[in-house]
This record gives sequence, C-alpha cells and structure tokens, in this order.
Amino acid sequence: MATATLETKSLKISPGLLAWFALIGILLLIGLIAAVQVFLHGLEITNMNDTVPWGLWITIDLSAIALGAGAFTLSAVVYLFGIKRFQPIIRLAVFIGFIGYTSALLTLILDIGRPDRFWHPWVYWNIHSVLWEITWCITIYLTIMVFEFLPVVAEARFFDRWPWFRKIASLLHGAAPFLALLGLMISLLHQSSLGATYGIVKARPIWFKPSMPILFILSAVAVGPALTMAVAFVMEWVMGKRTVPHDILFTIARFCGFGLLLYGYLRFWDTMAVLYYGRTPSVIEAWTLLQESTPYNFSFWVLELLLGIVLPVIFFLTPRFNRRPPFLVIGAALAVMGVIVNRWNVTVSGLTVPMDYSPGTQYLTPVGSYFPNLPEWGVAAGIIGYAFLMLTLGALFLPLFSTKEAHH
Amino acid sequence: MSKKKTKVTVEITRRDVLTLAGVAAGSAAAAVLLTSGPLSPFSALKQEQLDVEQENGGHGATGDHHWGMVISLDQCIGCEYCLRACSAVNDVKTDKPWNIVVEEKNSAGHPFYFSRPCLHCQNAPCVEVCPVKATYHREDGLVVMDYDRCIGCRYCEVACPYDARKFNWETRDDVNPYIPTWGIAEVERRPRGVVEKCTFCIHRIDAGLKQGLTPGVHPEATPACVNICPVGARVFGDLKDPNSQVSILVKNNPTVVLREELGTRPSVLYLPPKEGL
Repeated sequence: MATATLETKSLKISPGLLAWFALIGILLLIGLIAAVQVFLHGLEITNMNDTVPWGLWITIDLSAIALGAGAFTLSAVVYLFGIKRFQPIIRLAVFIGFIGYTSALLTLILDIGRPDRFWHPWVYWNIHSVLWEITWCITIYLTIMVFEFLPVVAEARFFDRWPWFRKIASLLHGAAPFLALLGLMISLLHQSSLGATYGIVKARPIWFKPSMPILFILSAVAVGPALTMAVAFVMEWVMGKRTVPHDILFTIARFCGFGLLLYGYLRFWDTMAVLYYGRTPSVIEAWTLLQESTPYNFSFWVLELLLGIVLPVIFFLTPRFNRRPPFLVIGAALAVMGVIVNRWNVTVSGLTVPMDYSPGTQYLTPVGSYFPNLPEWGVAAGIIGYAFLMLTLGALFLPLFSTKEAHH
Repeated sequence: MSKKKTKVTVEITRRDVLTLAGVAAGSAAAAVLLTSGPLSPFSALKQEQLDVEQENGGHGATGDHHWGMVISLDQCIGCEYCLRACSAVNDVKTDKPWNIVVEEKNSAGHPFYFSRPCLHCQNAPCVEVCPVKATYHREDGLVVMDYDRCIGCRYCEVACPYDARKFNWETRDDVNPYIPTWGIAEVERRPRGVVEKCTFCIHRIDAGLKQGLTPGVHPEATPACVNICPVGARVFGDLKDPNSQVSILVKNNPTVVLREELGTRPSVLYLPPKEGL
C-alpha cells in the first residue's frame, strides 16, 4: 500500500510550459500588487460603495464555490450511489473543488473590511445568520476536501522520504467514503445557503423569493461536474495522454445536460411566476429599471439563458455533438460563463434597484451604479492565476489520474 | 467505445420489506422527536417566537425600558438641524449622515419633510444576518454595533430595508465641519472596515441613567437630534413606560411605521400629516 506509485520521470521544460508559467507569474504578480494596495488603503480604492457594497469579488466567491461543486456531486455518485465506474475522475473533481473553495476564501479575505478578524465567525456565533452557516460549512468542507485529497498528495514522489506521512494518508484513504458523505451533506447545505443569502433579504423584492437557494444549488450541481469534465479533456490535450476514460466524461456531460435542463426549466418558471403571472408591482418596477438602465436584458436572456443554458444543453445532449470533446469543452465553458453571469446578475442587479421605505411618494434610495475598477480586476486576475497555477502543478506533480481502485 | 448493457435484477424479500418498514418508522419517530420533542432545537425558537407575539416590545426589548422615538411629519420643517447635531456629536462623515432629511410629497401632492434615524427595529434584519453578532439587541431594545467584533462583510448594509447603515471604506482623516458649531464629538471615530449607524446616542442614555436622569426628559440623557429640533418634531422616551411622552403620543394619535409589511417592528414611529399620506 505505502509504496511509491509514481514512476520516476524527470520534468521536461518545454518553451510552451515556460510561457505558460510566465503568464501565470504575471497574473499572480498583478493580483499581489492589487491585494497589497487593498490591504494598505482599504476598500476605498475599489468601486464598491454604500449603495452597491458587494461587487465583483462576491461574484467570484459565489462562482468559485459553485464551480467547485463537481467534487461533492461526483463523490456522491461514487460513494453514495455506489457507481464505482466514476472512480477515475474523483481525484480531479476533489482537486478542482479544493481550488475553487480556496480561491473563494482568498477573495473573501480581501473583500471583508477587517481581514484581521476573519476568524470571528468561528468564535462569535450567530446561528441565525445564513452567512455564519456558510462560513462554517465552507471551512468544514474545505477541511474534508484536504483529508480526502491528502492520500493523493502523499503518493507524490516527494513523500518517499516520510513513510509515516503515507501511513496516515492511507488511513485517511480508508475513510474516503465517510468523508465524501459528510462532505455531501455540508455541501448541500452551503451551496443552497449561498442562494438563501439573497433569498431571505425581504428588503429587496427582486431577491426575496424561496427559489433562490434551489436555483443556486441546481446550477452548481449541473455546472460543477461539467467544469471537471472539461478540465479532464483539456489536460488530456495538453499532456498528450489519456486522463480519464472518455465514456465517463461523456456520461458526465449527459448528466450536466439534464441538470442544466432542469435548472433552465426552473429558471424559466421562476421568471414567469414572478414577472408575467405574479406581477408584484415592486418586482416589475425593479425589472423595468434594470432593463432600462443596465444591460440586464442582454445578460439575462442571451448570456445566462441562451449561451449559458440552452447551447450547453444542445452540446451535452444531442447525439450530433455529445461524443465530440471540443463541443463538450465549449459547452462547459459556456455553462461556466452562464453561472458567473448569473451570480453577477443576482448580486449587482439586486443592489442597483433602489429601495422605497419613505412614507411619501417621491423619495427612493439612490439607484446603484457599479462597475469594477482596476484593483478589483487585478485581484480577479490574481485569483485566476492561482487557479491555473494549482491546476498546472497538480497535473505535473500529482497522481491525479492513477487510481488504486481501478487495479483492485 | 462499446456500449455495455447492464442487466438489473431486483429481488425483494420479506426481510427487505420489513427492514425498510422498520427504518421508515424509526426515522419518522426520530423526526417527530427531533422536531417537536424536548430534544428539538426548534422548541426554544418556538417559545421565543410566541413571546415576541405576546409582548409589545418584540424581539429586542426584554428589559425594563424600550427606547423609542416619535417623529411628527407635520411639525418637521426640514431644517436639517438634527442631521448636523447628530453628525457633530457622533463625528459622522458628512457625505454619509446617520440621519437623513428629505423633502417628500403625500399622495395629494402636498409637500412635507421626512427624516430618518436608525429605526432600531425589534425584528431587525441586520441583527438576523450578522454572522458574528457584531450588531445585536440590547435589553432596552436598542440595536447596537460592536465595532471591535464587526468583520466588515457588509451583509447588514445589504439587508437593512431603511438604508440606515454605512460602511467605513477608508481610514478617516476628514475635518468635521459641524464641530464645534453644532456640538462636539462625544464618541470616537469608527475604524476603517466596519459598519456604523445611528445609536440613539447610546452614550448619553447610559451615562444619564447612571446619574438618575430620564432619557427623553433630561437633555443630557437624550439623543442630540431630539434636543436640537427647534420645533419639537422629535420626541424620545420609554415606550414601556405608559406615562412617557412617546407612549402618550402613540396612544392618542394614529401612527405610521416604515414598511410595516416587512414585520420589522421599528422603535421609531411617525405621526402622519393631518391631511394624510
């Protein structure tokens, strides 16, 4: 059990790899500079303001966590439903989940006004707050993923020198099904509560609806595995060797297609019920304002629904496309874009709409206006650089695609 | 790529059925026990909710006092003195006043002035969403901030239906133009990265009570905005004391609370204009 499982091979540094690392380096440098600026001067240097206090960074948090949902979804498939066929992709899925969650936490540290107090939710509890529940779930789940993934790291050649580390890791490996189940429960909680963060805010009619948590978790379950599938294909193309058996990836694409279909259906009916049939005046007003003063119409109908849901569904489900990896990768990229645009639309649009609390007929809070500025984009670039770096290092040094189970 | 067909055979024995039935019954019993039994985390919550329904004060005010304010929309002349005194005493940044004063019109088109401090809701959305209890209810119903605990996530700012909360985006080095003309700073400036809001001049209330003064009656124990109002449009006092000025006003007049449909139960009540809103 505790033997080196990686064949010895030296890393060849090609010009392509070098250029790729240079790009990652530049992204990380931009992110670092932006982050230092934010720590020094505070959130004043961002474009966020008291009317729109949440912006691009919250969008990144929500998207990264949603895109990390492949980990718990595929773990559930293997460990809960016992479909062992998908075992070969579990490691990659958990690895991507880990990258997603750490990206979110990195962004969050910058986004809160007092990064030095990031630990407060663990000490000072407000169990009534969804945000408290989310903080707890995310940290617990991140820990679970570390435990789930530790055995994979332990297989790397580096750990030949510390056999005791491998022993602990192999113990953890035995606990994998239990960890996966625990992770599943935690994920179901916080993926939905991220939607509830908006859904419970009764002050804002455009957010206040019970469908929020359901739409959030459905989109995460549908798109998270699609990202994992796409990364497997891209790694295969770049490294020039098989990563995960294709039939597994095709099945995942089909699963995501059905997931997106369900998500699109609920999204459609949510819109119909709230706008066309419900016609709650405050919601209609908000919708009209968004359509008139922001590119909401385009980003909702075209980016979110047409490109983010309909097209990926076609690529994932129709026989013409669903066995051709390039289309599956494009479909996954579009679906990922759709989720990001959705999280942006939910966050920023909700805050753009003014509130009406005055007893009179005229006064409204100011209409929000927000577009991220350079430091905010800089941090975003840094986060992307971090994700690329982790993926590359994982692909180069970790046995992401050798599964012991396959040999047993 | 070969397609494999998996043959699935299902065999159900009597034993399976009995096991399933047992599991179902067991989980149903556990569910009932957990949701309504003494073990239930909801039982405390339910009792708390019942208490809220019965008690006039609501969620927040569990002690002997419930500080509240009555603002007369007819009397307000829109002079903004309250805004200035508040900004001086609490050393508030001028572009983010805790108190706002705006010109309004009623449905008949007639103008009136509307001002708004923090409403100190008894079912406060900000208190509910704060992940660290940095904003919470005191026994006297006040919604207060613990600046040493706030992590600056700004969820409360997003959740407040009345736009009463403001975030400290930067370390302040501005000169407050209202000092000393409208008062002197009685509290510290808030540090960068935390949310702030109107406190009903909590420092005056607490110090005043210690000296045996009555907030709402003695100016030293009363919010700055109430003291400075030249027309007496703002009245402050204990809503739990039937003989306080606020209680008498509330008893004898029709009152309006902002966005009543949200069930936030504000401690600030408005006397609507005589001709209606």
